[in-house]
Amino acid sequence: MNQKAKIFDVVRRSIEGPIVSEQDFDMKHIYQNLKKIVKKYDIRLESENIINFNDELADRVWDAAIEFLAKAGIFCKDTGRIIQYTEEEIRQSIRMAPDHAVFGEGNDTVHEYARTADDPRPPVNLGGSVNVPCPNEYFVPIMLSYMQEPRVDFHCPTTNLTTINGLELRTRTPLEIFAAYEEVALFRHVAAMSGRAGMPYNGVGISVSDVGELAASHLMKKTDSHSIGIISELKVDYAILNKIAQCVMLDHQVMPYANPIYGGLGGGLNTQVVLLTAEMIALSIVFMGTTVGTTPTHPNLFCSTTKELLQMTSVAFQAISRNSHIMTRLTHTMVGGLATKTFLYEIIASCLVAVKSGLARLQGPRAATGAITGACSGLEARFQGEVLHAAVKIDRQKAEEIARKAYEKYKDDLDKKPYGKPFWEVYDVKTVQPSQEWLDVYNAVREEAIGWGLPLDQV
Amino acid sequence: MNEKYLNLKEAICDGDDEAALDEVENLLEASANPLDIFTDCVEPTLNELGEQFAKLEIFLPDLVLAGEAVAAIQSKLLPIMQEQNIKGRQKGRGVIATVSGDIHDIGKNMVCLMMQINGFEMVDLGVDVAPMEILRRAEEMDADIVALSGLMLPSLPFMKETIELVRHSSKLGGHTKIMVGGGPVTKEWADANGADGYSDDSIGAVKLAHELMGLSA
Repeated sequence: MNQKAKIFDVVRRSIEGPIVSEQDFDMKHIYQNLKKIVKKYDIRLESENIINFNDELADRVWDAAIEFLAKAGIFCKDTGRIIQYTEEEIRQSIRMAPDHAVFGEGNDTVHEYARTADDPRPPVNLGGSVNVPCPNEYFVPIMLSYMQEPRVDFHCPTTNLTTINGLELRTRTPLEIFAAYEEVALFRHVAAMSGRAGMPYNGVGISVSDVGELAASHLMKKTDSHSIGIISELKVDYAILNKIAQCVMLDHQVMPYANPIYGGLGGGLNTQVVLLTAEMIALSIVFMGTTVGTTPTHPNLFCSTTKELLQMTSVAFQAISRNSHIMTRLTHTMVGGLATKTFLYEIIASCLVAVKSGLARLQGPRAATGAITGACSGLEARFQGEVLHAAVKIDRQKAEEIARKAYEKYKDDLDKKPYGKPFWEVYDVKTVQPSQEWLDVYNAVREEAIGWGLPLDQV
Repeated sequence: MNEKYLNLKEAICDGDDEAALDEVENLLEASANPLDIFTDCVEPTLNELGEQFAKLEIFLPDLVLAGEAVAAIQSKLLPIMQEQNIKGRQKGRGVIATVSGDIHDIGKNMVCLMMQINGFEMVDLGVDVAPMEILRRAEEMDADIVALSGLMLPSLPFMKETIELVRHSSKLGGHTKIMVGGGPVTKEWADANGADGYSDDSIGAVKLAHELMGLSA
């Protein structure tokens, strides 16, 4: 089945599938099924390790996730029906998932692969935060701060445009269309300014509804990727399917994502790990993902770097990388902000989990929960890239040791919310260079990590 | 908690509405006062569950099930209380929505549920809800509280617009309190744009709602 036939089939199932109330879907299809399946497959994440070493557990999570997805399905909010697949259909579709993709052009071409947990190739470094609130005047210098970093392979506009000609942006209005056009144009402009005209673009970041995406998607290239979020947990509406249908008809690459909240409908660690895995499978087979993404989020700290979230992420991504060639992406979110050591320690732990769990692409790092005005800069993306490249030079056991050391350094700081400083206080906005203060923090943590055995000095 | 309420407490914690109703019947047969059942058992149990949720010892679905059990208890006891002219403590009622420009709903759902189980009558309007629709529903129920959530930047203008609409509504008469929260929202934004309060999580939202209604939590 080609991509158009697949999306057509999704739409047909959304019209003809079984009817269910949204509340029953949440509680019965999602939660009760999860509880039953976790019991059946004896899913228990009990290890003290941050990175998973239990292959057999990862394989059971994989089988549990497929059975769960077949039972639960995906809820279409516009029709109140379930888009449902049999286990055999799911397994067949997984076999057809792409295992390699090419993004960008010329010297900026990026090859993305389905990686294994101990793969010698680092994941693609999509350096860039997402949706950070920021005044328009910093949109270009912030983007430039990322694109000038050679370890950044791929970029998404880190901040969103907040106004158009002085008017605050409103979704599903002409303003969203204008902003979508402006975002694509500015991305290309800054890419050219930084000497990386062929750099792949992950967008359209500003397009919350389908209006901006449909308007500006033709401006994107086949070597870019379209970032399209689904509704948690396992829900979709026609605005989302409209975006995907447009990408399919343009023969563009879709990068769908789902953001489960720990403690939410997916419950705790053991149920959530199955849900997370199932969501990424759904993103591949229902949402046409070339690469499928997630950001597990802590409900109180709004980060992805608590111990349980790192453990869950590791098992889920290993479940996928051991049993399929689905390419996966993590967008990681930290509590620590710019010019804080906490932020860099969180990056180390999360990057090591990513590399040693078989991710294809890492997006971020998102500083200060992604919600603090101006909290993003290229320096942390440089650090992320360096850690990714260093991590493939050590084995999983060493990575675990270093991840634990980093975790011990930041775990008690998360409650204190060390959100750090905004871009314009840690960068010279005119020269787009990091301040000595930010560089000193970066150098200190880098040296410390080298001392732990992370070979950042060899990359 | 008095021993006679322990079975009811267990039924609520298990989210077992049938067992909860059976136990309420038993308590009524033993001449328990309906209001005492609420104040001495249901409310403290819900407070305990709220604290466990804050520590992530239990999860959202456990709260949903407990909330359903409490709803069943309410449907049994409220008519009896009305018949006997017993007045319970009214905490307030309101609407909650993720405003236009955003489709994130789990954070909003957590706040809604925590407010419901803490005694507020909240109507969940869903996600991506237009300001005029929020106003219409708030006016329709003469809301004490309008709770607005937004995790995406483009939702902020709509949040601001909703605040202005509520403030200018002649039907709401100025008594309606507006609470805001979500990723890009800060206390400073809330203050600058006329909201009555801001919270960044569900526990804080419940506390804030009590403060705005002049109640002790």
